[in-house]
Amino acid sequence: MRASKKCSVFLNLLVFIFPGALSAQSIHIPPHEKVVFKNGLTVLLLEKHGVPIVNFAALVKTGSVADPQGEEGLASITAQLLRKGTQKRTAQQFAADIDFTGGSFEAGAGADFSTVSGEFLNKDLTRGLDLFSGALMHPVFPQPEVDKLLAQSLDGVRAAKDEPRAVLGTYYDAYLFNGNGYGRTPDGDEISLSRIHRDAIMKFYESYYAPGNIILAVAGDFHTVDMKKKLEEIFGQWPPKPVTPVIIPVIPPVKRNKLLLVDKPDATQTYFAIGNVATAAGDPDRVAIRLVNTVLGGSFTSLLNEALRVESGLTYGVVSAFDPRKAPGPFGIYSYTKNESTVQALDMALQILQKLHKQGITAEQLASAKSYIKGQFPPSIETSRQLAQIIAINEFYGLDDSEINDLEARIDAVTPAIAQQVIQKHFPADNLVFTLIGKSSEISAAVQKYTEKRDARVIREPGFWPPPAQK
Amino acid sequence: MKKNWLRIATLAMVCVACMSFVGTPALAQEFPVSERTLKNGMKVLVQSDHSIPNVALYIFYRIGSRNERPGTTGLSHFFEHMMFNGAKKYGPGELDKVMEANGGSNNAYTSQNVTVYQDWFPRSAMPLIFDIEADRIQNLSFDPQKIESERKVVASERRSSVDNENGGLLDEQLWATAFIAHPYQWPVIGWMSDIEHWTIDDLKRHFAMGYSPSNATMVVVGDVTPEEIFQLCEKTIEPIPPHAPPPPVTTVEPPQLGERRLVVHKPAELPLLMIAYHVPQTNHPDFYATNILRTILFQGESSRMYQRLVDKDQIALDVSSSVEPAFDPTVAIIVAQPKQAVDPEKCEKSIYEELERVKLSTITDQELEKAKNIRLMEFYQQVRTINGRANTIGTYEVFDGDYKKLFDAAKNYAAVTKEDVQRVAKAYFGANNRTVASLLPENEEKAKP
Repeated sequence: MRASKKCSVFLNLLVFIFPGALSAQSIHIPPHEKVVFKNGLTVLLLEKHGVPIVNFAALVKTGSVADPQGEEGLASITAQLLRKGTQKRTAQQFAADIDFTGGSFEAGAGADFSTVSGEFLNKDLTRGLDLFSGALMHPVFPQPEVDKLLAQSLDGVRAAKDEPRAVLGTYYDAYLFNGNGYGRTPDGDEISLSRIHRDAIMKFYESYYAPGNIILAVAGDFHTVDMKKKLEEIFGQWPPKPVTPVIIPVIPPVKRNKLLLVDKPDATQTYFAIGNVATAAGDPDRVAIRLVNTVLGGSFTSLLNEALRVESGLTYGVVSAFDPRKAPGPFGIYSYTKNESTVQALDMALQILQKLHKQGITAEQLASAKSYIKGQFPPSIETSRQLAQIIAINEFYGLDDSEINDLEARIDAVTPAIAQQVIQKHFPADNLVFTLIGKSSEISAAVQKYTEKRDARVIREPGFWPPPAQK
Repeated sequence: MKKNWLRIATLAMVCVACMSFVGTPALAQEFPVSERTLKNGMKVLVQSDHSIPNVALYIFYRIGSRNERPGTTGLSHFFEHMMFNGAKKYGPGELDKVMEANGGSNNAYTSQNVTVYQDWFPRSAMPLIFDIEADRIQNLSFDPQKIESERKVVASERRSSVDNENGGLLDEQLWATAFIAHPYQWPVIGWMSDIEHWTIDDLKRHFAMGYSPSNATMVVVGDVTPEEIFQLCEKTIEPIPPHAPPPPVTTVEPPQLGERRLVVHKPAELPLLMIAYHVPQTNHPDFYATNILRTILFQGESSRMYQRLVDKDQIALDVSSSVEPAFDPTVAIIVAQPKQAVDPEKCEKSIYEELERVKLSTITDQELEKAKNIRLMEFYQQVRTINGRANTIGTYEVFDGDYKKLFDAAKNYAAVTKEDVQRVAKAYFGANNRTVASLLPENEEKAKP
């Protein structure tokens, strides 16, 4: 077989020419300190010198899953409004002060949590801290700013719909979870955004932006002792308040195949996602899952990319990805192809998935994925910005430093047999959810064969899934 | 771009997204760079950084879509794809397989001016990477079957970055209208009909034209020593014989004598507006003042344009500007995303008024200082990773003629005065020098009488 011949060729090269390639490297996260203030705020401090920058990353343990039904986008709007008026500064003053330092301030919401982050040169640390803490602790949500942002966000959703690949994931998640839990669209939609009012924003803020519900990670060019003192002076003053934790519904994998076709009449390519509900963060099999997914669709030489791009030229890109969260999150194969080859590309992706289940992965493929993940990991913990985010997220998911420090050992421990078990357990086989965005009049009949249950929407119609009338 | 389709596409796809402009300054930390020019003319720049056990290697070839001709537009980019499809030692598909199996990854991008190959790998894979790079510079193979499948891949890339993305579509039309003589007028990815008709001989000619070692600069940053890199180069790259560089691009775009306007009608939720102004090439002395002007006008929520269009008038979701690094005089592009049902001309009016304001009275000291601070921060952001540093060193070397200019940027920005900013605003941002492109949603347009 052609494929195996190629593999043996590269294996020879591996063994005889570059034996050093598989030698172990040591990946470690720099030492850092954790403190819990009296008011419940968790603070993580990681010193990293060299570049005179300090990064702040506050993780608020509540995200878009807490959006009330029909008011999707509330967590995101709340986060984005933090800088739009604080007790000390108007939105314009805030922008002027941040920009003057050359620093940045960003806030937003994902499914599980909201994030507020700041980046400053250490010479501007005092001003930076004042801005960052002012937005986090003392936002005032002026009505005109609320109105402005809501209007912009509404058009933002419409603009995204002009680009199929910008909304493919949104439609897919919404359809996969049927609008529940992780099916809440984090940025909201044309209808939900019009329902959000300042009262709801204030209430969301009051309910969840509390020191006991926040992990504050600081990384960069500072001295821990001084920084701790500064943070204590500022954030230690924040009065504690009880927070009712959000219950994230655990939604089981979909049992019966279903397909959503979103009509975009001018599309020349079909954008598709196929998958099901998969794993949660911290799953004991996570390292093996990552390895197998690297082989399936997580690298350029993956089975999917090899078939859909390299061998057949059906697409410019195809990936498969897990998105593990507090509760089981989505797994999907994502790609696009021209209208005429829609069925060919879908069939091929499904065949690869079936082949994965029937034949598993080879020892060579596993070995390659191991080297690849190990070799590509260090640049992901290179900057203080990355480190602040990683330690905050790991803390949130209850993962410790062994997540990074033991990564190589955990990778080494995955055998072909373990990979095989993981495929059967975590990679969907027969029960699949399809989401397609494309020109319905050209592809609708052809994709009929995949599922009995069919749903349809037109991209211009407000909302994602379910249709507003069914909510 | 070879891959990474999930990376959010910005406007000019193949080019702008990848070549976010490198500018910046301040008496920021200098880092030692070792240099050597190989006997075949390739310049090699090495910067050691042992903070992570990894290496970023960039090879800049001074060839891009400006070196193409009508009929074979997009050839540079297509060729970039072919550089991954097999040579003598590493056959089709083997390059990626061997590289990934050894912990490495790669990508590449093509712009109007350059074609850049990027490898990111653990230190242990270093000999392999040099072996691969030498193999493909010297012995690229042209497998007719691979050419056909890769042709389809590029067509798919074009469909997603132009046909199914309003920004990409309008950007293409804008360049095609702003330039009437110079090769910057055609898209880096190429017109679809050219993509469909390249031949194997076109590819071979392109290889012979652009891929002499003397036409390339290599930058290596990371867990290496200059000595070991130079040694590897002597063994693998230096024996490759040089040949003539691409013929110079002699066409000069004639001065624009009046405003040009174009409209694209398309089903869309929102309109879109782009305005291009002719500005000088990257190594021109006005580069720094123009960047300071653009920073004050467009960067951050306190910028004049954001304050005006997004915050005060509330007619746009976003307004920004970009200039690509360029060997020849190019354009500065302003992009405004009007709100739904807002006539792009309304955004135009506000933009022109703000431009007039910087021409009439100088910017404030506070604004000038802010712009310099923003540039300083950007500098740190660019050089804080081994990857960013490799790209920055290479971009200065290639576009400014010397990587050391990177360390002069601080001085050059510091020297910019309020009067300089006013002068460049007047010199380049006038009505006669602009091309205006509007995308109008079809439905909305039909409603007009």
